[in-house]
Amino acid sequence: MTSRERVLAALRREPVDRTPVVNPTSVATVELMDLVEAPFPEANREPELMARLAATGHTELGFDSIMPVFSIIQESSALGCKIQWEQKDNWPTVRMAEPVYETPDDIRIPDDLLDHPDCRCVLDAIRILRRRFGDEVAIVGKTMGPWSLAYHCFGVERFLLMSLDDEAMTRACLERLKEVTVAFGLAQIEAGADALTLPDHATGDLVSGEYYHRYLLDLHVELAERLPAPIILHICGRTVDRMGDIARTGMAAFHFDSKNDPDESMAAVHGGIGLVGNVNNPETLFARGPAEVRAEVIRNLEAGVQMVGPECAIPLQTSIENLCAIRAAVDEWHAARAAA
Amino acid sequence: MAEIADITNEFLRAEVDEFVERPDERERLTALYAGARAEMQAIAAAVVEGEHHEADRLTREALDVGTDALEVMDDGLIAGMALVGIKFRENAIFVPEVLACARAMKVGMAQIEPLLSASGIEPLATVVMGTVKGDLHDIGKNLCIMMLRGSGFEVIDLGVDTSPDDFIDAVEQHGAPLLGMSALLTTTMPNMGKTIEAFIDADLRDSVKIMVGGAPVTSEFADDMGADGYGKDAVACVALAKQLIAEGAGVGD
Repeated sequence: MTSRERVLAALRREPVDRTPVVNPTSVATVELMDLVEAPFPEANREPELMARLAATGHTELGFDSIMPVFSIIQESSALGCKIQWEQKDNWPTVRMAEPVYETPDDIRIPDDLLDHPDCRCVLDAIRILRRRFGDEVAIVGKTMGPWSLAYHCFGVERFLLMSLDDEAMTRACLERLKEVTVAFGLAQIEAGADALTLPDHATGDLVSGEYYHRYLLDLHVELAERLPAPIILHICGRTVDRMGDIARTGMAAFHFDSKNDPDESMAAVHGGIGLVGNVNNPETLFARGPAEVRAEVIRNLEAGVQMVGPECAIPLQTSIENLCAIRAAVDEWHAARAAA
Repeated sequence: MAEIADITNEFLRAEVDEFVERPDERERLTALYAGARAEMQAIAAAVVEGEHHEADRLTREALDVGTDALEVMDDGLIAGMALVGIKFRENAIFVPEVLACARAMKVGMAQIEPLLSASGIEPLATVVMGTVKGDLHDIGKNLCIMMLRGSGFEVIDLGVDTSPDDFIDAVEQHGAPLLGMSALLTTTMPNMGKTIEAFIDADLRDSVKIMVGGAPVTSEFADDMGADGYGKDAVACVALAKQLIAEGAGVGD
């Protein structure tokens, strides 16, 4: 199987020749930026640099996917949020302390949303990657979900208080913002993305499982129906309490965090959705060595997790050696099983 | 020893009974609420319910009839947040609910703080707080700051996206024995370690105790980074700050 065939089969939960190594979120690092001369922040704003840096996930790290959207700012930037672009060793980020909306009536989706330079950069980078890699590797795009967009546009604290004080207003915000998710997602599919990551941070570190059920389950079902490509939902933090609902969204896979035990997570989704994950970033990939990375990969493989990768966008100072250990551990595990 | 039945406020009594399971905490909160006057219990209940208009009204009424500001703060507002912290730790409530409770406490504290400042009470210690470089999240940090101030600490809030140099400058400028760093993103957590290294490079590491926290931060990560302590939430942050002060932070170490 090619990497692309392997990833797409795993997203359909069909048989694969080996477990694909997938990054639904960024694996860009400072070392990789230096290697291909595509540093932040420029690699977030110039399509050629974005494509070149993203490609290293496949060419240098051996992943079966390429994911060019390193940050979470594109749509919010197009909606008018202020962006802090940072330097090579830090991530671009939305200035959430300077929200652009107060009420749902403030939400105006620009007609030229997709022509905004930050959205266009992603679309152009996907086209470059598709042209450069053909059918060899799976290209994964990313479109932010309405809950995350609301954090950016209203401010996290204000939006969370709104969600408690005024359910109707909260729903109105999500209904309007979901159109951004759909528009940017459709454009990436048209540009050549094989699948889309959909981050929507209704994490257990912030809100309850009941919140996910009340506010997001139906919305996510709708998004899965309207976006004609496999969708990988990404939510950081503790999520086991909502994985049963997540498995009912119709999305292809859920990118889960290391705060959730792989065995427990597999049981929680009960075959309703594939899982991608969940090698720990700060304590393992960033701070430990290949042996610890290997142990976490094996734990996921033994649990039956369908696609292996980091739990979230990795710290920029993560070593290439540790990232390569993910693919090496997958190969080693499959070789040992084949020999047995 | 006080019994739960001694808590006269029906709502508080039910909350303690339902949500506080650890014997030591149950005993402490029961004694706290049962020993508080009914008016203070009502303020605590308003905080626990996240009813900021009610907390505002009850605080004003208490102060208007001459209740000591410290009593309103300790037996009412802070006492309420103690139960909120336990409910949050046990996943009985989540951040939106905590924010609503904090809002209720904040409107009460807005009336209390000028009175306390005027009374000239010395703070327990000065704490410099900030979210690390590259991270613009501040909910957790702000909750910690509110609880620290309510518990008698003077807090220098550096806001978000704080560079190691800014942390160092603030600690030096204010002679702070305690520093608290927050991060919400796994991508920015390593900046806690960078900041601690900067304190070592500046030969200031021994003059300040460093606390870290934030949703993805763990005790193990805090140890790896060389921090002096980790707080899982705002209540734990206050307990840690008090512990570090008791261990001698700010008294010449």
